[in-house]
Amino acid sequence: MVCNEFLTDIILTELEDAVGRENCSTREIDKITHGVDYFWLSRMWADRGKRMPEADFIVSPKNAEETSKVLKIANYYKIPVTTWGGGGGTQGGAIPVAGGILLDTKRMNQIYDVNTESLYIECGCGAIYKHIEWAANEVGYATMHYPSSLTCSTVGGFLAHRGIGVVSTKYGKIDDMVLKMEVVLPNGDIIETSPAPKHAAGPDLNQIFIGSEGTLGVITKAQIRIFAQPEERRFRAFLFQDMHGAFEASRELLQKFKPSVMRLYDEAETASLIKKIVGVERKGAFMNIAYEGCKEMVEVEEKILLDTFKKYGAEDLGSEYGEKWWKEKITFFYPGHMMDLPQMFGTMDTIAPYDKIEKIYWAMKKAIETNFPNVKFIAHFSHWYEWGAMVYDRFIVDKEFVPEDPHEALRLHQQIWNTGVRTAIANGGVVNDHHGVGIKLGRLMKEQYGPAMQVFEGIKKQLDPNGIMNPFKLGL
Amino acid sequence: MYMSEKSKQIVDACRFCWMCRHICPVGNATGQERNTSRARALALSLVNRDGAKMTPDVIDNIYECQMCGGCTKDCATGWDPIVFTKDVRLNLALNGETPDYINAIIDKVLETGNAYGVTELDKDLAAAIAAHAAVTDTVLFLGAEARYNVPAAAVNAIKALEKANVKFTVLADEPASGAALDWLIGAADETKKQMADCAAALNGFATVIAFDPQDAKAFVREYKEYGVELNGVVTYTAFVAALIKDGKLAVKNTGAKVVYQDPYQLARDLEETDDARAIISACAELNEMLLNKKDTMWAGGSIMAIYNPLVTDLVAKERWTNAINVGADTIVTASVSEYASLKKNAPEGKKVIAIEELILAAAK
Repeated sequence: MVCNEFLTDIILTELEDAVGRENCSTREIDKITHGVDYFWLSRMWADRGKRMPEADFIVSPKNAEETSKVLKIANYYKIPVTTWGGGGGTQGGAIPVAGGILLDTKRMNQIYDVNTESLYIECGCGAIYKHIEWAANEVGYATMHYPSSLTCSTVGGFLAHRGIGVVSTKYGKIDDMVLKMEVVLPNGDIIETSPAPKHAAGPDLNQIFIGSEGTLGVITKAQIRIFAQPEERRFRAFLFQDMHGAFEASRELLQKFKPSVMRLYDEAETASLIKKIVGVERKGAFMNIAYEGCKEMVEVEEKILLDTFKKYGAEDLGSEYGEKWWKEKITFFYPGHMMDLPQMFGTMDTIAPYDKIEKIYWAMKKAIETNFPNVKFIAHFSHWYEWGAMVYDRFIVDKEFVPEDPHEALRLHQQIWNTGVRTAIANGGVVNDHHGVGIKLGRLMKEQYGPAMQVFEGIKKQLDPNGIMNPFKLGL
Repeated sequence: MYMSEKSKQIVDACRFCWMCRHICPVGNATGQERNTSRARALALSLVNRDGAKMTPDVIDNIYECQMCGGCTKDCATGWDPIVFTKDVRLNLALNGETPDYINAIIDKVLETGNAYGVTELDKDLAAAIAAHAAVTDTVLFLGAEARYNVPAAAVNAIKALEKANVKFTVLADEPASGAALDWLIGAADETKKQMADCAAALNGFATVIAFDPQDAKAFVREYKEYGVELNGVVTYTAFVAALIKDGKLAVKNTGAKVVYQDPYQLARDLEETDDARAIISACAELNEMLLNKKDTMWAGGSIMAIYNPLVTDLVAKERWTNAINVGADTIVTASVSEYASLKKNAPEGKKVIAIEELILAAAK
């Protein structure tokens, strides 16, 4: 569209009419702060003093009705709409790369119902997850969704990219934690998904929108599960001689019971992060397990854990390291503890069944270290299922090997990602496990899905024929 | 120049980190992305890198922070966004770039000693002060907020001490503490001069009872930082708690069920959380709401209420939600400005009681 000063003013007044003048901004400060998310490239761009692509309008609707009005205006004028929750995503999913409207959800932060009978919290999707955790805690429950971005990201943000927390092995991923959602479609229609998450009334509408990263509509409300606080939560740390033994032990353990926390660190990460934060200075693969629930069950689970891991030669390090890890589980991600600029870094998390995951780890490690001799590769395995596990593999490029020129830095970054993720896909892995796709990995979606991608494209075309919703994300 | 090298270092740590988002009273109330330490730092880091200009928008955002220290307390690494916020306010003033709406308040503080530009004391308050004109070894420092914005609080503060037969002085021409200027423009010469003048007026007393937590914080923290000597400072809550403990002020428990709003200046800056609780527990039945003691959430009011009342009202309403969630009908405050803000925004059937008011109601 041709956007001139006059038309811009017309659109602005229509948006102000939809959400209130004070909730609609064209101010520079709002454009700047919605231009940089947690994506390394956007941060690097800002670090070099360059401005990221910015939205023309920033709107903050209060509810689905106001969101609907905004989407109707956007559709009429064919203006891109990018949804922003907390901006804590690492894949560039919330960056308004095509300009247009930036729809910030944080005014949709109402907690409508803390339902202790059916065990859910109904809330607006702009609620900070920590706030619904507080609401659950006030009545003796917990959300059991504890990602490192718990304090800064929104309910909608976690849903949009299929997030995960550190106790996922027992309690599930965000897509396991939703009962029902309210969604505003690109044409402005407000819909609700099924009244219950398990049914035989056709495909699961929840799962169509969860992970859609704002490309199919805007999630405005959700019922999020809460759980009874465990009577007891115990920790046990172990040291394996090698990762293979740890995999064998963990696979067997998961046929018997589900711990809440299961984190296996490769030797490189054991020697770096675990040494720094938890204080373990030993060679090998560190593993931390937490198990929780009724006290009697925890007693039994502890015995099973110790017997199982002993069979595979794990050295029992006791409970102290695990407790320290739990206490510091978010500290890892504060400035000064986390990798940061001027380093280049990224997390190429992927997931696969047990018969492939170990091979994927070694193949990715080899591909990265061979093709990029100055790049370090570390990993841990932190979300486990009866059938497989997730590898959280990270690359780190130290300052001296990161080009100062932002265009060259971007080029190197993309090359590393292409190499790592293509290796994962070639060995049976998935483009991503729990950070999402965004603009960072959109190009690789077709490589993974092949002709299956037309299913996503067909849904997109039907729901968003003008292609206004979060353009250039998710490969759509 | 807008900041020191130290501030630049903090800006570069905070510019990509949102870990304190959940604790920011302003950001939580407005839902605006710019109201986070990260957003403020990101914009300033771009200014430092010539990627953005210090435009009026960016400048306004510097004054949308209450500097309550919630983010600082929450930071696992110990970064302090207040340092760069305050530093930029100072440099904006030195550069002559302070916004007009802030300059208007600065002018009032310089001319009248208070942010409201009021020159006449409330009649009842003037009478209460006059009754304590005689010089003793103890001075009750009421502060500008109580004297000129909530005079009833100042009157009650005096009456509560009278109940304990404390001999004390109240200055008729009480000087400005410098706390308001410090919040507006940081460590400027004008701020330091106000502080030095105030210290000169108070240093003849053995004990200085600071009624307003904002003044208490300035006396204990900023005076020391700026090299202004003032001894014998005690907070009003600590002073009264000691009176009750020593049996000099007799109170009965009214059985009223209340929660306490910790002023961030007492809880975080002065690490005082137990004295008010001792007073309240002697006078009423104390319950705790979410975010108490050092984790307290600012409840609105203060100078920001003059130029950004919609935001401070939203902040107060958020705090009321926390109180209501634990079934409380009454919030007790020990901060004059938070009292005003919570009272203005009290939901129907809910009330706020200043701690001196609670003491008077419970005094035997």
